[in-house]
Amino acid sequence: MSLFMDLNLSWTTDKRRLQTLLETAAHLGFSTVAINYTYEAPSKGKKEIPKPTPVSQLVEQLPIVQRHNAAEYKAYDLLAVQPTTEKLFHAACMTFDVDIICITVTERLPFFFKRAPVNGARERGVMFEVCYAAAIRDSTMRRYTLTNATSLVERCAGKNVLISSGTDKPLELRGPYDISNLAQLFGMSDVDAKDGVSSNGRSVLLHADTVSMATDGPPAAKKLKTAATAAPSGL
Amino acid sequence: MQPAIFERVVVKNSPVYQYMKVSLVLEHVQTKLTAVELKHLITTGLKSLYGEVGAAFPFDLLTFEEDTLTAVLRVYSRGLVRLWSSLTLLGFFQQQRCAFRVLQVSPYLLSLTGNSRDLTLD
Repeated sequence: MSLFMDLNLSWTTDKRRLQTLLETAAHLGFSTVAINYTYEAPSKGKKEIPKPTPVSQLVEQLPIVQRHNAAEYKAYDLLAVQPTTEKLFHAACMTFDVDIICITVTERLPFFFKRAPVNGARERGVMFEVCYAAAIRDSTMRRYTLTNATSLVERCAGKNVLISSGTDKPLELRGPYDISNLAQLFGMSDVDAKDGVSSNGRSVLLHADTVSMATDGPPAAKKLKTAATAAPSGL
Repeated sequence: MQPAIFERVVVKNSPVYQYMKVSLVLEHVQTKLTAVELKHLITTGLKSLYGEVGAAFPFDLLTFEEDTLTAVLRVYSRGLVRLWSSLTLLGFFQQQRCAFRVLQVSPYLLSLTGNSRDLTLD
């Protein structure tokens, strides 16, 4: 049996709201959540990457898989990028040392998904993530979410797709079975849809864990740093 | 003591109806809502997601408890995915945020009754 996961809850400075969000997620039946810190890299120069709040300050006592890697990302368990151009998407799928590739759902897709990078990502165990909260917020966004998710699912045949919320409001969270039903609208089979909220999340965690164990040293640090600067609007 | 005897029943034909037990969570807890308003809300959600033709399948609101905002819906099995997804994507009720929590889905109405967790002892 695999547990349900939602690997994209947006981080807010309001600590109480974050706690209600976590409680709602737990109430809906999620056993694992990831809190997402969004960081937009500038096209020139460097911006400091935000430091995550230690989990011990958010909730008391929580077992967690720790990831030790490059200097900036050392504190994070998972690393995701949201590519905005086709070149970046290709690079993210084929070379970047990331765990999740986030798909744009709030605007028209800036490029087409090509078979080669999508297959490359599947072979490397990198997951694609679709967030559904925008679809609840607004009907235009809903159209974009459906279109973009459908074209992604068509390319990767429903495999390697994660469905997560991407919200900071408890009322925009939905239960795991609701989401797997929703994923059927994207063209995924019911088995793939259930994997999208459960076992694919587990694979991502294991992938992140393996990467951090296998490349615990300077080579990985160097590689990750180049990845960060090469993605002008990554993560 | 005699061991309990179990009988296994296998139903091979697909069920005609599916029953859903849902509850509506609203941003302002004190908001009151009637059964008609709830049905209208669901129908509006269906229409905004699937359009006139896609929303034209029958479903019924069997019961509605106004104090807990819990309802039981009956829908033909064919329409389940459509109804459920439109409930999932419903986010607003009269300019306030709302969310449908699907508590239970079953082809048998009997299994939605008699939840031992809902029992109130006198």
